[in-house]
Amino acid sequence: MIDFVLILRILIFPGFTFILLLTLFCDWVERKLEARLQNRVGPMVAGPGGILQPLADFIKLLTKEDIEPRDAKKTVFKFAPLIAFTIMVFAMCFLPIDGASVLSTTGFNGDLIVILAFSTIASFLLFLSGWASGNPYGTISSARVLTQFLGYDIPLFLLALTPAFIAGSLSMFVIAQSQTIPYILLAPWAFVLFMIAMQAELEKDPFDVPDAESELVGGLETEYTGAKLAFLHLTRDVQIVFGAALVVELFLGGPYGPVFFGLPAFWYSLWFVLKVLAIVIVTEYITTLFARLRIDQVLSANWRIILPAAILSLMLTVAIVTWVYPLV
Amino acid sequence: MPKSEIDIISVIESKLKDKVQIQLGHLGTAAIKTSNGLHRDVLKAILEVDEKTGITAITGLDLGANIGLLYHTHTAKGFFGICTEVPKGNPKIQTIIDIIPGAALHELEVADLLGVVFEGNPSPRHFLLSEYWPQGVYPLRKDVKANEVKLNPASAEENKPPATGRLVKLIIGPQHPALLEPEKFSVTVDGEIVTKVEPRLGYVHRGIEKAAESRTYVQDIYLVERVCGICNPCHAYGFVGAVEKILKTDVPPRAKYLRVIALELNRLHSHLLTLGHAGLEIGYETLFQYFWRDREPIMDLIELTSGNRVYGSLMTIGGVRRDLKESDAPKIKTVLADLRKKVPFYKKLYQDERSIRARMQDVGVLSREDAIKLCVVGPVARASGYDIDVRKDFPYEVYGEIPFKEIGYTTGDTWARMNVRMDEIEESINIIEYALDHLPTGPIRVQTSRYVPEGEAVCCVEAPRGELFYYVKGNGTVSPERVKIRTPTFANIPSFLQTAIGENIADIPPNFVSLDPCFSCTDR
Amino acid sequence: MTNTVTWARVKSPWVLHFNSGACNGCDIEIVALLTPKYDVERFGIKLEPSPRHADVLLVTGCVTQQCAERLKRVYDQMPQPKFVVAIGACACSGGVFEGNYNVVGGVDKILPVNAYIPGCAPRPEAIIDGVVKLLNALNPPKPKKQPKREKQPQFPKEEAKPIVAQPEVLVNL
Repeated sequence: MIDFVLILRILIFPGFTFILLLTLFCDWVERKLEARLQNRVGPMVAGPGGILQPLADFIKLLTKEDIEPRDAKKTVFKFAPLIAFTIMVFAMCFLPIDGASVLSTTGFNGDLIVILAFSTIASFLLFLSGWASGNPYGTISSARVLTQFLGYDIPLFLLALTPAFIAGSLSMFVIAQSQTIPYILLAPWAFVLFMIAMQAELEKDPFDVPDAESELVGGLETEYTGAKLAFLHLTRDVQIVFGAALVVELFLGGPYGPVFFGLPAFWYSLWFVLKVLAIVIVTEYITTLFARLRIDQVLSANWRIILPAAILSLMLTVAIVTWVYPLV
Repeated sequence: MPKSEIDIISVIESKLKDKVQIQLGHLGTAAIKTSNGLHRDVLKAILEVDEKTGITAITGLDLGANIGLLYHTHTAKGFFGICTEVPKGNPKIQTIIDIIPGAALHELEVADLLGVVFEGNPSPRHFLLSEYWPQGVYPLRKDVKANEVKLNPASAEENKPPATGRLVKLIIGPQHPALLEPEKFSVTVDGEIVTKVEPRLGYVHRGIEKAAESRTYVQDIYLVERVCGICNPCHAYGFVGAVEKILKTDVPPRAKYLRVIALELNRLHSHLLTLGHAGLEIGYETLFQYFWRDREPIMDLIELTSGNRVYGSLMTIGGVRRDLKESDAPKIKTVLADLRKKVPFYKKLYQDERSIRARMQDVGVLSREDAIKLCVVGPVARASGYDIDVRKDFPYEVYGEIPFKEIGYTTGDTWARMNVRMDEIEESINIIEYALDHLPTGPIRVQTSRYVPEGEAVCCVEAPRGELFYYVKGNGTVSPERVKIRTPTFANIPSFLQTAIGENIADIPPNFVSLDPCFSCTDR
Repeated sequence: MTNTVTWARVKSPWVLHFNSGACNGCDIEIVALLTPKYDVERFGIKLEPSPRHADVLLVTGCVTQQCAERLKRVYDQMPQPKFVVAIGACACSGGVFEGNYNVVGGVDKILPVNAYIPGCAPRPEAIIDGVVKLLNALNPPKPKKQPKREKQPQFPKEEAKPIVAQPEVLVNL
């Protein structure tokens, strides 16, 4: 028996098409916000208020000529962007978006670890795509990507364990659902540190090092053209939405919020989109307001400040949850 | 210091009595004519008296049977020209880079364009000319015609294989988002640390000095202006000032004040440009957008005074072309008052913003001794504690009458250079307001003759990037015999080659932009 | 389908800027396009760092001998479909430097040019005008429907007399 509802959920809502449209919309929000903070207007011509601009960029890139440099390693060069994109979308499918995940299940115990692992694999594939382009800029940039995301993965995992500890489970669904009081209020230190570590994982300012235009031309994307470049850009954008969605699930109570009338699924998706937008706006503010740090400053910030702070935050949360909150 | 009180001329006269001929008032403070080989002794004598001696330029002249070499030297007290000659058949002369290391690039240029061989400073390949240029043809010699030179086909000499082993050779340019202009820097890196920087200049070499010899003086103003789109009034003024010195014209005072206003407006827009560009290099796009937003009213002012946003061509021989209306002065003052209100915000940003300081402090440090030895000019020198400013040392136009401060910092890093430029913005606003308040009435221009008599003159201008030097030689016709331009970036590049070593790759863009490089000026 | 593709290409032209021996005037005006006063990102134009990402090549400068080969190489690296815009009098024909010994003169001696924007330096408004004209040429906007008008009466055409300046001639015959 073909389960049409399941196929519809995977392909349209809250699956692939919904994630794609949400990504393009968040891209537009980012560009407009950055333009406004810089005293400018941003995209205006493509569609009303420029809202179709990311879509126009994507379609244009799909129809460009595909060039493969002679020195590139062919298989990795061809498939790395597409596989990275697929893995990111697949990771998004585990998050409860409208009260349940895409597969309309309640997940399984431990899927927090699984989706964090998927995001690491996707970043690793991005590194490989730069490595395989046969360009010195790509090589140096991908080395920076690897050092940065491997370094910041450790505090990220530790900080993601904080809500898991408070909820008492490693399942995303349980963590999101057991937030009668959102964990941002119960463990605000973990939220702040998680946002900083997420900013570094997503390679946005001030941790923008691998994408440093002024030194490394195009970074790891230098040799990519056409459809592969479109998917590289999309992977980056889906990573941003994924990061925001993770913050929403872990700290802001997921899609759960007041239901006023009608279908709870509709209200849950609305709250989800609004919360994701709020986090995207906060990360874009931080991006616009800071300069770019050097790679050694980024790494020393990680090993000297963020990682010890993450360990301390976990210890603090364990102490407070075990001894203080039961008294309250 | 008692040493600087000693007259340099009397020292030279006492040391090298019969071997030199001194002509006072010519080519600056004095022109010292000597024979081949003795230029080193004259330089050593000057260096002993004044430690702040540096080479401004080395001009090569085609004098028929000989090639004349003029070593233009600047000291704290005066500007000297040391003249020698070498025969064309055997153009060999001893180098001076052991006395003054900053003269290395000047000698390479003369070797490339005129064919003089400097013993001790070999030039293995073309410096400014392209790799297709045939050997043995020297464009600045009078017998070479511009459209009769046959070019070689492309050779594989320039495309050397990258360094092997741990060292990776990273090539920055000619097409690079950090540089607005094409230049090639081969940076050898070990991991992330730079070990060597080799520049290849000449991508923007358009042969302006040669072209100036075949156009009239008035046409040359428009040609020479287009050496650089950012500091163009300074180039125009340098040329015009040198020609007026040969003609011995008296420029009316109103024209002098208008020239000062144009030069200072140019300094304002150029400093705002650099400060914004530095923001782009450190990844701070917001700062870039803010600075360039504040630059636009200044461009409107430049258009108001000269008629065009970029190439106003306000200067002409004998004065200026356009007058300032009475109703324009309040407009200028309103815009400047607006800019003055914004300067404290930017200063606070540079002082307090942690990410700017993290990227810019202790990056590209140049000590005072190195600055003097390498003959750097402009804000780069003033940030290292080497206080040279043509407006204060050899005042031109009405800078002697206008009170303003000379800005100096001592740390010598990128952050100090940016702060120097920020403070100079305030001083420029003060100068323009003073000039507007004291603008005399009268004519703006005097008529001059088309035929410039035989003679030579030099003119130094403080461009936004540093000291700009012009040497013009007239020969009685409507075209100049020789025009020599020495731009400030040309003097500052050796300092970059030294300060980049030992730093991260990520430090190269801010270090580079803090020099305020203008390669169209360097290559001409 | 082609309509969507053309629409997407016209709404999102990514630009690469190459200076082939210019004095910087045109380049500064191009960078000034990104600033708040002119804000060319409204048209979807982004300044890209790598030739592989760009659609439109903005060339400034009279092409010097050394830059000629590099310019051709950068053009070859760009994927199809690509366009070249020559900005400034120097890029159109060599400008003030025509005839110098190191100057090729004019981008169209090396590359096929789609749009010429003259000026020295062209104002940012002129550059935006040129780029918009190029985009409109690729995707011509539909002409607005004109309302029907009554036939206007035809006046007989006057023969245009040439304008000749007649100076005051004082002649003692």
